[in-house]
Amino acid sequence: MNKFNVAAVVVLLGACAAPPQRVDSSRTEGPDKSYAVDLPVGWISQVTQNKQLLVTRDGTLLEYMLITKTPPKEAFPKTKKAASDSMLPAELAELEIAEIKSEDQFTAALTVTENTPAEIAGRSGFRFRVRYKNNLGLEIQRVVCGFAEKSAYYQMQFGAPTLYYFDRYYPDFQKAVASFQLSDSNKKTSRLKSERFLSENLTRTDRTVR
Amino acid sequence: MRRNRAIRQDTYSLTASTLAARRHRSRPFARCGAAALGLVWALSAAGAKVPPFTDSSALGQVTGDERRVWSQGNEITQAIDRGGMIYENPDTTAYVQGVMDRLFPEFKGRTKVAILKSAQLNAFALPNGRIYINQGLLARFQNEAQLATLLGHEGTHFTNRHGYQNEMSAKDASGFALFGAMLLPGAIGLLPQLLAISSVYGFSREMETEADVQGYARLKKAGYDVHESPRIFEHLMADVKAEDIKEPFFFATHPKLADRVQNMKKLSAGSPAGGDGTSNLDYANKMAQLRLDSLEHMLSMGRAKSALIMLSDPERLPEFPPQVQYYVGEAYRLRGQEGDVKLAEEAYLKAIEAVPEFPPSYRALGVLRLKANHYADAQKYLDRYLELAPDAPDRGYVESYLKIARKKAGGQP
Repeated sequence: MNKFNVAAVVVLLGACAAPPQRVDSSRTEGPDKSYAVDLPVGWISQVTQNKQLLVTRDGTLLEYMLITKTPPKEAFPKTKKAASDSMLPAELAELEIAEIKSEDQFTAALTVTENTPAEIAGRSGFRFRVRYKNNLGLEIQRVVCGFAEKSAYYQMQFGAPTLYYFDRYYPDFQKAVASFQLSDSNKKTSRLKSERFLSENLTRTDRTVR
Repeated sequence: MRRNRAIRQDTYSLTASTLAARRHRSRPFARCGAAALGLVWALSAAGAKVPPFTDSSALGQVTGDERRVWSQGNEITQAIDRGGMIYENPDTTAYVQGVMDRLFPEFKGRTKVAILKSAQLNAFALPNGRIYINQGLLARFQNEAQLATLLGHEGTHFTNRHGYQNEMSAKDASGFALFGAMLLPGAIGLLPQLLAISSVYGFSREMETEADVQGYARLKKAGYDVHESPRIFEHLMADVKAEDIKEPFFFATHPKLADRVQNMKKLSAGSPAGGDGTSNLDYANKMAQLRLDSLEHMLSMGRAKSALIMLSDPERLPEFPPQVQYYVGEAYRLRGQEGDVKLAEEAYLKAIEAVPEFPPSYRALGVLRLKANHYADAQKYLDRYLELAPDAPDRGYVESYLKIARKKAGGQP
C-alpha cells in the first residue's frame, strides 16, 4: 500500500462515524430515516461523520456510491453557494459540477460527458456524468444525481475507474437511484419553487426519466 | 468538500494560497496540517545556501541528493502530464516559452514552461526546470512585461536551486511533512510531499525575496518595462479580495502581497520609464483563446467574483473577443447579487448584438426570460439556441423549458 492509500484510509476512517456493515437486505434507510434506498446486497455500507451513506463493494478506490442529504444552505460548501428554491435542475447541476471541479487540480480538468434532466423520487432533478484522470493517468468517471427540497438538498453519486469497474457496477447505482424514496414525513414537506414550476407545467411523460 | 472527504482517492492539488485558505474554513484537520507545514517551512527557511546554476552546462553535473530531488520533480511532472492537467495550446505555450528564453537565454532548452488548466492565480517552478503557470494567471495579466515579471521570479527559483535547498534543509523535518501530508491528502497525496509543498505553496521568505529581486534584474536586463512588475502582485491582491480569501497561512513566513508590491515599486523607482512588453493589445491578441477558455473554466468553477475583476473593468473589456459579453452576463448571473439579473440580461443582449451566431447567449437569455415569466420571449430565444446548436449537450434541459414556454406563451399576446 503506497503512501497515498495510507492517507486515504486514515481520512476514510476519520470521516466515518459508524462501523461498516454488510448490506444484508437491500432496502436501507438513510441515517436520519428521511429516505430509503435499495442497495446491492453484499456490499459494505457505512455512515460517515457527516451522515452520508457510503457504500462500496471492493473499496472506495475502486467503486463507491455516496448518498448525501444536506441543508440547502450547506449544499455547495467549496463554492460557498446554497441550493435555493428558485433554482432549476440545470442550475443545481451547474453548481454541483463547480463543486466537483473545486476539489483538486485533476477534477478541475474534468469533462462533462452527459447532463440531463432526471426524475428522482418523483422530484425534478438532474443527472450528469463527468470523467477525469487521476495522478496515475487512470480515468475516473462519476455520475451525480440530485434534487432540492425546501428543507434539504439530496445528492447521489457513483464513482469508479472507467477500466472495468464503472461499467460493471453502474447498473447497481441506477437501481439505487430508481429505488430512492423520501420517507412519508418528507413527502409532505413543501417542494421547491422550481419543482412546483416544473410540475405544474410538465406532465410526467414530458420529463426525461432514466 | 464534506461530501467527498471520505472518498478522496486521486487528489493532488497544485493550488496556492486561495485553496489553502478555503481549507482553513471548511476542514478542521487542515488547521493542524497547516501548522505542521508552516513549521516545516520555518525550519527550511534557515537552510544552507548553495551557489546558483550559472548556465545549462552546470545542470548535467547535478548529482547525489540533488539528482534525487530532481527525480521527485520528474514524478510531479509525470503526474501532471498523466492527469490531463496541461492546457494544450501550442501557440500560446510557445509564446510563453519565448518570453522565458528571452529572460534566461543561458538556460534555453533546459527550462520548459507549461500551462495548467486552472482558474487559480498561481505558478510554480520545480527543481528540474519545469515551470508551470495556471491559465487563470495568464488570462489576468495585461501585457508581456507582467508575464516576464512572473517568469523571472519562477525561473530564479530554478536557477538558484531553491527546491533543492528547501528539500535538504527540511530533511530532518520530513516526519512533520508526512504528518501534514496525511492531514492534507487532497493537497499533496502520494507525490513527493515536501517538494510539492515548497514548490507549489511557495518557498521561504528569503527565497521568495531573492526570486523577486533577481527576477527583477532579469526583467531589466531583457529590456522589459520594469514599472509593470508591481502589477502582478496587485492582480493577486484583487483576487484575494474578490473571493474573500483570508490571508493564507504561509504568508506568516512569506513577504505579504502588499509588501511585495511596495518592494517592486522601490526596485523600479530609479529606472527610467519605457521598455518592452507594455502593449496590452499585442498580449490580448496572443491570449485571446486562452482568455475565453479561462473565463469558461473560471465560471464553471463558480468563481464569478474573480471573473468580474476583469469583466467589470471597461478598460479591460476591449482586450477580449466580442462574445465576452456572454461571459459578463454569466458572471453576473452566477454572482447573484441584487441587480445582477438585470446586468446579466443587458450583457446577453449585447452579446447577441455583437455575435449573433453565438448560441449560448440565446440560451442564457431564454432561461432568464422564462424565470421572469416572459414566455413568448423565452420561447423565441430558446428556439434560436437549438436552431444554432442542434446538438447542444444541454438540449434535454432546454427542451423541457421550451415546453413550459410554449404552453404558457399560448395565453400571452
